[in-house]
Amino acid sequence: MKKFLIKAGLATILPISIALSAPAVQADTIRIALGETPSDELAAFFIALDRAKANGLDYEWTAFSDEELAIQAVLSGQMEIGFGTPYAAMQRAKAPVRIIFQLSKLKFFPVTTMKYSKLEDLDGEPILLHSRGGGTDSIANVIESETGIKFGERSYVPGSANRVVALVAGQADATIIDLSNKNKVMRQHGDKFNVLPMFDVEASDEALFANLDWIKANEDQVQIFVDALLSVWQEMNADPTMVRRETNPEGPIGQLPKEILDSLDNFYADAVAGGLYDPNGGGRKAAMADLEWYSNAGQLEGDPSTLKIEDFWYMAPLDAAMN
Amino acid sequence: MMTMNRSLSLKLLSGVIVFGAWEIAGHIPVSYGFPTFLESMAALVAMAIDGSLFHAYIDTLRPLAVGLLISAFLGIALGLWIGLSSWFDWLFLPIFIVMQAAPLAALIPLLVMVYGIGLTSKVFVVCIMAMPVIVLNTAGAVRNTPTNLKEMGYSFLGSERDIILKVIIPSASPIIFSGLRLGTSAGFIGAILSELKITPTGIGDIITYSRSIADYASMYAAIFSIILLAVCFLNLLERIEHVLFEGNDRGYASD
Repeated sequence: MKKFLIKAGLATILPISIALSAPAVQADTIRIALGETPSDELAAFFIALDRAKANGLDYEWTAFSDEELAIQAVLSGQMEIGFGTPYAAMQRAKAPVRIIFQLSKLKFFPVTTMKYSKLEDLDGEPILLHSRGGGTDSIANVIESETGIKFGERSYVPGSANRVVALVAGQADATIIDLSNKNKVMRQHGDKFNVLPMFDVEASDEALFANLDWIKANEDQVQIFVDALLSVWQEMNADPTMVRRETNPEGPIGQLPKEILDSLDNFYADAVAGGLYDPNGGGRKAAMADLEWYSNAGQLEGDPSTLKIEDFWYMAPLDAAMN
Repeated sequence: MMTMNRSLSLKLLSGVIVFGAWEIAGHIPVSYGFPTFLESMAALVAMAIDGSLFHAYIDTLRPLAVGLLISAFLGIALGLWIGLSSWFDWLFLPIFIVMQAAPLAALIPLLVMVYGIGLTSKVFVVCIMAMPVIVLNTAGAVRNTPTNLKEMGYSFLGSERDIILKVIIPSASPIIFSGLRLGTSAGFIGAILSELKITPTGIGDIITYSRSIADYASMYAAIFSIILLAVCFLNLLERIEHVLFEGNDRGYASD
């Protein structure tokens, strides 16, 4: 009986270990970890992917439900390129990853009921944010330090869309949401809510990052990708309607509902007008803004002026693309 | 005594193997975001000393305790009812089978829409996770009470109430408790799921916050602590079963 059990155990464990240790994909296919499912906000990114593919980039993408999962997938080596702003991971966990391109800036908007008309009115008032330590939490911290107010109780509901539901249902009077949801709520309930005027933020919301050793070992591939991104970002800033025109109808964005596709022109016109996408891919200006912002937000430790950009960004591909 | 020593040493051995593997995996490291076992335990002690862990548990245990109490009492009562009456079986059982099979994470936005972002939604998530398994186990055990035991009860002129309280429930108790244990485990999963998916409070808040500032040791410490609490609670349930129905003791592996 014992012998049988040992044999049965080995027969089960061995094939599983072999299966787990086998690489999932061929090594030369670049695996890209998206921090969200394909949506209007990713339309320009997918155009850049198509251009990169036409120039010989062999890739496959996986959409994660959460940016943190995409970061974890890159940190564990299951994916080569990821979405997100992994500053804390680079500093605290000493993960050898570097940002190569700023995809979007941290453009979020304080949206409130008609009770409030300026940021100062929110002094002592409760506010709904994404999560403790997240992007909107850091925006709330900076609003406090810039305006001298102190928010009341902070409640957390992940996802701008969910916070809009809470706002519309009357469960909150003030929240901070992204551009797409701000536009949606103002279009549908513009008579009930205010968008409070806010200062400009240059820091990154989404950036493209990868393992530094992998970037150096695959510089050609990375260059193709960054060239494609930069060309799309520059063309989009010159003419936001190019996104709708160049969206592949057979691709993941082209398959979205018609209403979303019809709203792409408005979305990108608003985004470009609001400065959501830097036509130069961020670069040193974005890196410095990020170090200051994420230090104030508590994700980076130490005086921002003592932090070195090269510990967080790898500029070579973007510099080459700009030239 | 001999058996107890063997059981204890097996438990210790399995702990050493699992935590040793964790420690080695952290040193390799399997990921830059994966801390060692000792780093995680140090973070756990630090959170216990500064009190943040206990404050978090006050928030987490509220929906968990309310949800589990509702699921246990209502679940066993409904299970008995369904097991005793084929009419109620027909009426209610499909609901719980659907509840058990439903993809809960996908239903959470619906719950938030109806019950908001407060305690009610989280209690619902715990109940949806815990109750079906308690109801289904109880109903199955009651329905399958050996007929000869019930006939024996009737032959001793037992009333319906006597048969239920003195024959059916004691006979069904091992499966009812097994349902309670499974339901409790599911309830813990539901409580953490609701804190990660609805509003990050309590342990869910420590997990999301630690993750966002890359304090992975604290994140894994929080996850470890909730697993430890669930295991301790399941052992407590076994003890309660042992006290209430001594005859059920059939030597669980974890005893």
